[in-house]
Amino acid sequence: MSTRTELHYAFALAALCALDVAAADAPVAPAHPLDAPAALKSAFAERIGHPVNVLSFGFGEHYAQALVQNAAAPDEFDEYEAVPGRPLEPGRPKKAGEVDCRKKIAFAALDLDAGARALAQARAAAAANGYKTPDNVTLGADVFCNDFGWRAILTSDANDDAMLQIVWAPDGTSPKAQELHDGGWRKVDVAKLLAGSAKVAPAAPKAEPKTVAGDGRKRDFRRGIDADLARLEAEVGAPLGFKHIGIDRTQLSVDVFQSANRKRVSTWLVGDDGAIKLWREDDTIPFDCNKPFAAGDFPLAQLPDLVADAPSRIPPMPQAQVKDVAVYRSGLCGRPHVYIKLEDERGYGNVEYDERGRLVGAQIQ
Amino acid sequence: MAKTAVAKILLALGASLMLAGAVAGAEAPGTDYGWPNLTDFLKQLIAKVGAPVKVYKLAMDRDGKVDLWIQDQAHPDLVDSWEYDHGAIEGPIPVKFDHYPSVAALDHHVIELTTIDFPRLPAMLATARTKLGLPDARVVFIELERGDSSGFISVTDTPIWTIALDSARHDGRVEFDLQGRVLDVDKD
Repeated sequence: MSTRTELHYAFALAALCALDVAAADAPVAPAHPLDAPAALKSAFAERIGHPVNVLSFGFGEHYAQALVQNAAAPDEFDEYEAVPGRPLEPGRPKKAGEVDCRKKIAFAALDLDAGARALAQARAAAAANGYKTPDNVTLGADVFCNDFGWRAILTSDANDDAMLQIVWAPDGTSPKAQELHDGGWRKVDVAKLLAGSAKVAPAAPKAEPKTVAGDGRKRDFRRGIDADLARLEAEVGAPLGFKHIGIDRTQLSVDVFQSANRKRVSTWLVGDDGAIKLWREDDTIPFDCNKPFAAGDFPLAQLPDLVADAPSRIPPMPQAQVKDVAVYRSGLCGRPHVYIKLEDERGYGNVEYDERGRLVGAQIQ
Repeated sequence: MAKTAVAKILLALGASLMLAGAVAGAEAPGTDYGWPNLTDFLKQLIAKVGAPVKVYKLAMDRDGKVDLWIQDQAHPDLVDSWEYDHGAIEGPIPVKFDHYPSVAALDHHVIELTTIDFPRLPAMLATARTKLGLPDARVVFIELERGDSSGFISVTDTPIWTIALDSARHDGRVEFDLQGRVLDVDKD
């Protein structure tokens, strides 16, 4: 073994010994933290070693994590972690700018017994109502920096959209529950929850997207879309009333007003293999231009030539490539124009043609 | 380009500065920034593009790599990037804008290289650390570009040095004008 290699080993050994010595001095987290909250709190207190406030505390049987503020230096924050049966590592500084909410309690007021009770209650509620067993509870404020307390979030395997939150005061009293409903929160009676009378709602059946398999022929939509618009029209079963047509090399995107309800717009996507998919359906936007245009209202047959010709329209961009093409009504609901976006190594350019394929403008963006 | 022009520019840069002579790698906390050898970079650059050098933006990162955007004097509607990484210069690299500035806008935006007082930079870095109360803070980036500062000295459309620093507990940035006056201090 060379002298240099021996030296490396010696340094590595010394570093390991130093770590061992540090670990030997460190307090050890209890093997079963939920059964020994006082011991866990004592281990954190010893590891921290000075008066702090607690901004958040995550608590479960596998892991505990604290974010604390130095009581003597309010701009100093540190994170500490505990793994059952393992020595606690020294705290890691947390940048003050990353601490958005500074609601807190003194470490002395940290009641891990209350946390353990809250977690047990959350697990009972989950089991009784068809939610997954929560791993932990967290003491802290909500995302709006309100409602400081122990917090459990329940989710469900049966319904991805289901979410229920239970919040207790820091001493484990006054539980409140609310569930996600129609994009907002709706209160849930905790007594009913604990009695198993607030079952998770089954997932709403999701409609399979309407799709038509491709014909296998590879397309570059910049070279023409008329055949695929005809296929789409056959699929829709009515003449297409366009709102917007978007074209790039590999995808054709078509927004059409629904023939049965002109206040609804369907967005159809055609892939470069010819597969047609109904991607989404939306209400029209009030005061937007909601006047449909037909295939005969824009230079559909000329489109490949207009696209091919576009780069020559901006002489300072001789190497430009066509990025994408769009057809929609110009200005304040005017006639449908063709908008071609170009791109080269330095930027973008825009070329516009009118409803008869005449050049309207060509400029660097 | 005439040798005298190069000499004049280098003199303006402060050849004695050398900005600590290209210290490689990230700095250790509490030590000074590993300044790139700007004199060498600009000497190489001027040999390639000639004078004048009109700076759109200059950025130095934590590792001492430099990215300099300059107006192409042969095509004044274009901006090129030149990169310098511990002695190695690379460029021109075309700069891509979402909205390309007009020649007039570019002419206004650029800063003549000879008006930039590079030897002030180490003192400005020291001032930034003092103003932020972060004596051990490390450089995140140092950047020069024309812009606005709404700090305690409010200026618009003027060349601004921004020195961004961080430490284990804080991030901060201090803005200076070309004369090294502090315009703004922002600490998280």
